[in-house]
Amino acid sequence: MRKFTFKGGIHPPEMKELSKDKKIECAFPSTKSVCIPVTQGGAPNQSLVNPGDYVVRGQVIARSDAFMSAPVHASVSGTVKKVENRLVTANVEAPCIVIESDGSDKTEYLAPLDPFACTKEEALARVREAGIVGMGGAAFPTHVKLNPPAGKKIDCVLANAAECEPYLTVDYRTMLESADKVVDGLAITVKITGAESGIIVLEDNKLDLVEVLSGAIDKHAMKDKLGVTVCKTKYPQGGEKSLIQAAVGREIPAGGLPADAGCVVDNVGTLVAISEAFREGKPLIDRSFTVSGLSCENPCNLKVPVGTLVGDLIPEVIHLKPGVAKIISGGPMMGFAMINANFPVQKNTSGVLFLTAKEAPAYEENPCIGCGRCLKACPCALTPVLMNRALTAGNIDEAKKFGLMDCVECGSCAWVCPAHVKLVQRFRVGKNIVRAEAAKAKAAAEAAKAAASKGDK
Amino acid sequence: MAAPSDVNEINISSSPHFADNWSTAKIMLAVIIALMPLCVYGIVLYGLSAFITILVSVASCVVFEFLFQKLTKQPVRVGDLSCVVTGLLLALVMPPAIPFWMVILGAFFAIVVAKGFFGGIGANVFNPALTGRAFMFVSFPIAMTTWSTPFADAVSGATPLVSHGTDYMSFLLGNRAGCIGESSVLLILLACLFLIAMRIIDWRLPLSMVATVALCTLIAGGDVLAAVMTGGLLFGAVFMITDYATSPVTPWGRVLFGAGCGLITFLIRNFGGFPEGVMFSILIMNVLVPFLNRIVPRKYGYGKKKAAKEGK
Repeated sequence: MRKFTFKGGIHPPEMKELSKDKKIECAFPSTKSVCIPVTQGGAPNQSLVNPGDYVVRGQVIARSDAFMSAPVHASVSGTVKKVENRLVTANVEAPCIVIESDGSDKTEYLAPLDPFACTKEEALARVREAGIVGMGGAAFPTHVKLNPPAGKKIDCVLANAAECEPYLTVDYRTMLESADKVVDGLAITVKITGAESGIIVLEDNKLDLVEVLSGAIDKHAMKDKLGVTVCKTKYPQGGEKSLIQAAVGREIPAGGLPADAGCVVDNVGTLVAISEAFREGKPLIDRSFTVSGLSCENPCNLKVPVGTLVGDLIPEVIHLKPGVAKIISGGPMMGFAMINANFPVQKNTSGVLFLTAKEAPAYEENPCIGCGRCLKACPCALTPVLMNRALTAGNIDEAKKFGLMDCVECGSCAWVCPAHVKLVQRFRVGKNIVRAEAAKAKAAAEAAKAAASKGDK
Repeated sequence: MAAPSDVNEINISSSPHFADNWSTAKIMLAVIIALMPLCVYGIVLYGLSAFITILVSVASCVVFEFLFQKLTKQPVRVGDLSCVVTGLLLALVMPPAIPFWMVILGAFFAIVVAKGFFGGIGANVFNPALTGRAFMFVSFPIAMTTWSTPFADAVSGATPLVSHGTDYMSFLLGNRAGCIGESSVLLILLACLFLIAMRIIDWRLPLSMVATVALCTLIAGGDVLAAVMTGGLLFGAVFMITDYATSPVTPWGRVLFGAGCGLITFLIRNFGGFPEGVMFSILIMNVLVPFLNRIVPRKYGYGKKKAAKEGK
């Protein structure tokens, strides 16, 4: 039998025991107000509300007409206080809508919709109206994912349940506590995409879930199409490229999307949101996430309204120990180090970590010794050491040849590097240079075209 | 709002936020540990002169590294232990009775000329220890080919490659005349297994070099076992061609590098002007490393047809 795994990868310490036995608890910010980023995945949205407006939980407060966008909803009922730029994940300022809750539990959800009775268009519209984006981290609008261009046949939906980032346990808890919703969301996704099968892809460090999920599948009407696959535990299993290689043995062609390999990959959190959007008409307004790290006294899994400032949960819900050296939005391998905790929980926030200086040391970068460990670690079979040498020499074309634009920034190479060379950081800079140059070339070509057509007249 | 940034010093950096606990120094330490049995056995075989050679070589490598980095106003990186490894390697490929001042010159050439001038650790083109040895080999040819018999002082004997000795047991145990660390095949193999198990060296390098020599010797109708077990072949295949900076990083690049070293070794041994060819073969192949690094593995997502087939 084929081994369910992918090439390359690493085994960082899992650190999941800190929070894996903690139930997902509901929490509410101490200030009774939320700060909801106007855009959370996809093209930039426009705010639909003004300070002073009264909004109800579930009401759309920001949207865009662009196809590649997802609306944002009010996660609490109350009064809009401000619409202003605030610090968000990735350490940038972005427009946010600040709503002060009036404490009421009024809601304004969509009407429930039977996913197995409605048309594909109705179903896709529902996924979009519910503001569903990829909750694993990338925040890619889900309705776009479920509607690949004509000619690309989807035969397999993969539920990404690998949760390969250390510390994070929210997907594990979600599957344990809401297995029925995960399975239902998967079945709905299979129905929408017309796929032949839906597979929940686990790592073999979560074997206790197999029974839970199989039980939930047996209860579902579409059980014949659904299944569970267990892969060898390895980071970055949850990356789309690695997950598809491990679960179905295919590769996404360079520059392509999972649809090019006949697959749709959805995080289990996203599947729960899809199920709720149809069965309850509930948009994506609550987010479960893991709070962990050795500087956190009570590692836990929380469920909060989207837009809750992490700082507003301290110290009432999250108790910290002195000695926080790093605050991370996301996981330790790919998450963002934040300058403080006053950033909102977004649709794609899977975890917030408070790490000590010992857990997240500030490494000094040493010269590359050419050991080649990064080659073995890379899940995309790239050559990080040579990409790095090309980039430090300023040779972008050479770096592209060695795979710069195929890099998924998973951090495996930097994790194994004995000299602590800042590989991922340099690749990000390199990719941005390439993208900026491409944009510049495009703009120049368009300007030339415009000038030419002007000359014709 | 009690933001933790009020009371804590918060670090910002690009992900990933932690790393495996290997470091350059730990890797070098593992190599030093692998070399220790060879050093001890060399001293047992050849006595005090071997001990002095090792000591002088390591000490002068450390001192030259420190002085060069100080003088050129670079960060001092003696702590990464790479100069200790160079010192040990240089000593272990010396005849035991070599005058100590020659060793100091060799160490200077290895650390300053072959490594420092080229940009220090990781940037050097030629294997430092072998460059130092090559310098000594052409400068002091007689001293460099005066071999001591084990358990005796400075008795001149011919190198095993020349004397056609085929006592395999003595090759295995190393109870014969030769360089300080090259004599015992058994200990070199043990060190090799240790380094492969610790994932310090890639098995492709030593295997391809030794296999190539064996194959060429077989085709030429020579004594395969003697060709593999004598001279500096195994020591070079385990410790010299596996030097990170001067060998390719890609898997097939490494196979070809090892095979090239093996082929040139065979050619020099059989058709060249020197009895032993390991040193020059490695130095010649060092030049080709940037080209061999172009042989990269197939990247994920390239070569659709094969990928599609695997899916079915």
